[in-house]
Amino acid sequence: MDEIIRISLTVSHVMVPLLALIVLFRCVRSMLAGRADPETWGYLVSPEGTVQPLLHWECIIGRARSSDVQLNFRDIASVHAVLTRNDKGDWTVHNLSRKGGVFINDRRVEGTAPLFDGDTLRCSSHTLQFAANTELHRALQEQRRSVAGWRVAPGATLFFLTLIQILLVLEFSVSKQAEHIVPIALAFAGLILLEWLCYLLIRSMDRSGFEPETIAFFLCTLGLAICATATPGELTFQLILLLAGVVLFFLFGWWLRDLGRVKALRWPMAILALLLLAANLAIGSIIGGARNWIMIGGFSLQPSELIKVAFIYVGATTLDRMFRSKSILFFIAFSAVTVGGLALMGDMGAALVFFATFLVIAFMRSGSFATVLMAVTSAVMAGTLVLSVKPYVAQRFQTWGHVWEDVNGAGYQQTRALSAAASGGMFGQGAGNGWLKNIVAANTDMVWAMICEELGLIVAICAILAIVALAVFTVKNAARNRSSYYVIAGCAAVTTMMVQVALNVFGSLDILPFTGVTFPFVSRGGSSLLACWLLLSYIKAADTRRGGSFIVTTPNPEKEARR
Amino acid sequence: MNKVTHRAMSALIVAAILFAGLGVYLVRFAIHGGEWATFAANNNFYTSGMLAAGTLTDRYGTILANADGDVHEYAADGNVRRAVYHAVGDYSGHVGTGAIIAFSSKLVGYNPVTGTYGADAGGKQIALSLDSGLCATAQQALMGRKGMVLVSNYQTGEILVMTSSPTLDPAVENAEPPDGSYINRCLNAKFTPGSIFKLVTAAAAIENIPDLEERTFTCNGSLNVAGVVINCSGYHGTQTFEDAMANSCNCAFAEIALELGGKTLESYVRDYGFTSAQKLDSISTMAGSFTRDADGAPGLAWSGIGQYEDLVCPYSMLRYVSAIACGGTLREPTLLLDHKNGKTDLLDADTANKLRDLMSYNVQAHYGAWNFPGLNICAKTGTAEVGDGTSHAWFTGFLLDDAHPYAFVVLVENGGGGLGVAGPVANAVLQEAVTR
Repeated sequence: MDEIIRISLTVSHVMVPLLALIVLFRCVRSMLAGRADPETWGYLVSPEGTVQPLLHWECIIGRARSSDVQLNFRDIASVHAVLTRNDKGDWTVHNLSRKGGVFINDRRVEGTAPLFDGDTLRCSSHTLQFAANTELHRALQEQRRSVAGWRVAPGATLFFLTLIQILLVLEFSVSKQAEHIVPIALAFAGLILLEWLCYLLIRSMDRSGFEPETIAFFLCTLGLAICATATPGELTFQLILLLAGVVLFFLFGWWLRDLGRVKALRWPMAILALLLLAANLAIGSIIGGARNWIMIGGFSLQPSELIKVAFIYVGATTLDRMFRSKSILFFIAFSAVTVGGLALMGDMGAALVFFATFLVIAFMRSGSFATVLMAVTSAVMAGTLVLSVKPYVAQRFQTWGHVWEDVNGAGYQQTRALSAAASGGMFGQGAGNGWLKNIVAANTDMVWAMICEELGLIVAICAILAIVALAVFTVKNAARNRSSYYVIAGCAAVTTMMVQVALNVFGSLDILPFTGVTFPFVSRGGSSLLACWLLLSYIKAADTRRGGSFIVTTPNPEKEARR
Repeated sequence: MNKVTHRAMSALIVAAILFAGLGVYLVRFAIHGGEWATFAANNNFYTSGMLAAGTLTDRYGTILANADGDVHEYAADGNVRRAVYHAVGDYSGHVGTGAIIAFSSKLVGYNPVTGTYGADAGGKQIALSLDSGLCATAQQALMGRKGMVLVSNYQTGEILVMTSSPTLDPAVENAEPPDGSYINRCLNAKFTPGSIFKLVTAAAAIENIPDLEERTFTCNGSLNVAGVVINCSGYHGTQTFEDAMANSCNCAFAEIALELGGKTLESYVRDYGFTSAQKLDSISTMAGSFTRDADGAPGLAWSGIGQYEDLVCPYSMLRYVSAIACGGTLREPTLLLDHKNGKTDLLDADTANKLRDLMSYNVQAHYGAWNFPGLNICAKTGTAEVGDGTSHAWFTGFLLDDAHPYAFVVLVENGGGGLGVAGPVANAVLQEAVTR
């Protein structure tokens, strides 16, 4: 009997990493397969007969080389006008020029005006004929779009993930955590039920893109395994949080569908975020050296996690607003207050995550390197200032690279993390068999080392690659996205996640200073988990494959034909 | 929109950072994984800070240390326990350079693929190259005096004897351990070398003084160098270089050191590895030291004789005489049975052969081969004055015997004359070694 258990355990140790690789590979293949070449949504025809295709739903007309439609004349501003299309196919012109002006059929446009097929659009002295693409062309284009999941069946990928979850339960049943096997098995059963319900819901919406969700569920599986080994008493709560996260994902995703209402709520969102921040500074509790917790009736809430979502919501913008100084100043002020607030709380990790996200948003919005450089300089100066007044943070920087010189002092956590991670080898000690969980903050700040220890280096690397896969997917989708809002929000969301991974993993391994940031979806922490599912909505909103995302409302040509 | 689309790539910078960081980790993991995994805080195979798995044996399979959970055992024979205490170490970790610590990742069966999975099932058995019986003989020959004995097979690099005194018995509670008993004098201490250091000065002389073999050196019992009198052990008169070495004539070697100059001498000391820490498998040894006095100064003369501020780690001397025995190219020593470390070109072959002949002549003409019956021995004595009126007795060399290719270093601290005190210790150990 013992022999059978031993052999099946060995098989399981090899199978879990193998299945993780399969799941990841299938997701990546599916996400990166297919064309992402630009599509044509309309045309601008010059009097000489030159046809300029409109390749996006938001197009800049201007003198700048980076303009979508370049008019290289002295009386054209570098960003002269912006054309936008909504998902009903209606076009709008936004006048951004100070001089020269924009005219539709010789009527001056003040601010914005609708643009119809056949209209004459004049920028200063240059006339262009506008032609929207025909319904037929649009439908054809829609059909040419690669369909999500047609090459790699999403159901099969989810099936492999389910196998991982079953194997983990089996490993737990003969591990040092065997006494908790009933709640562990129930929690994993709940997770399996949740992911399949989620899958069915997506399929019922005529969508076949499920890779970002599968990746999230893969990471949540690791999170649940960490919970089962470190805090088995919290399994039910963890499952409820997961459910809440998925529900929020769908609700927020649905909200993101309509850009109009998204834009309308930017100001309230900013105010809400600042109120949360202020409340945190005023009544927050200090846990682990940082005042970044609010206790509400027995529950501890980490507002910075939720502010993260709001930060991206406020920071992302559509092209027509991008060049308005009011909008830029608003965002800079909002960022400064947020990052400054976090630094004041002593939440160095979160401040860094926000700052990196800010850089990406700022770069995508304004795009001058000078601006970004100035931002970096000011952040370094501010950071030095904070370091000089916060000895707790400064100490972590001093320890960096010297953890083995003070194994029972400043290097206590990192040396344990390295030791445990190494003893896991490629395949791990088996779910539930680690000892790192006994060290403070193992299941949050050193969670990657815990995965290495119990499930092995291969699974742990898969966890990092899973986040990178989401990033590459989002960047790839940028080329044919509807609005710059979704591109910026998606890129900001994946940046946030990747910076968190970098700080979490490399901090615990003494490659970067130990800042105490969560690993997306895996680390213990309710606020963090909810925030990650919300961030996933941004990634999902940037998925423009046919049938890719429930957040994208694309009319189904077959259905329309039947009608 | 074009611009935004292109700039979306900026998010991938962070992805690149992730890959770079992961690469750094994987490299470090490949290099240090074993050390990390066997860090004493790893509860998988440490119970209350003590290694809980693995067995160490000597070359004949005698168990030297065995751990299983919270049971820790050492060799059955008390003399062996005391003799190999420093080489093996103890589970409490008092001896920092012991095999228990040095090979802990092997003991728990660590490898990068499976990590330490299964280490709780008793760990691995590792055979050391030590001959525990011979170690006991060596320890007994020291008769409780402070000192050390190192014997290795210079052809394979395997260390047969590594014993250090004072020592203690790890199997009994030692409320008040003797002063310095945690230090392995073979690896982690440095001493004034005295005349054994003339082997180094001689190598520099052979390579830098063209007419060395035709030259004669005159000794009147002392030499005046810039107003300081350098005493010699005797009145050697006019002698060849060969005899100057055999007489261990201070006057001759002071003259040679001054002629070579400080820079040349220093470079030889450095190149032969005396002033740097060496690696015995993964164990770092102590670096010796050499201070160069000004050219023409008495300090320089003394430093060529192995006095002044010269300090040598016995392990470095073992490497040096092993290299001479091998014709210049050293097989780096090891503590593991049937394990071969790499080779190091330490000396020029001609130089090594000349030194070998000098060391053979030492024994045949001056030390008396009858002191070492049956052994074809090449050696150099040392009687190092340590300033308190006593002197360290040294005896180092090797057997010119393909069946028994053993190099050795013996030190008896404050013991007296090299030949009279350290010589018999070496003889006792080597006589037993050749019977095995």
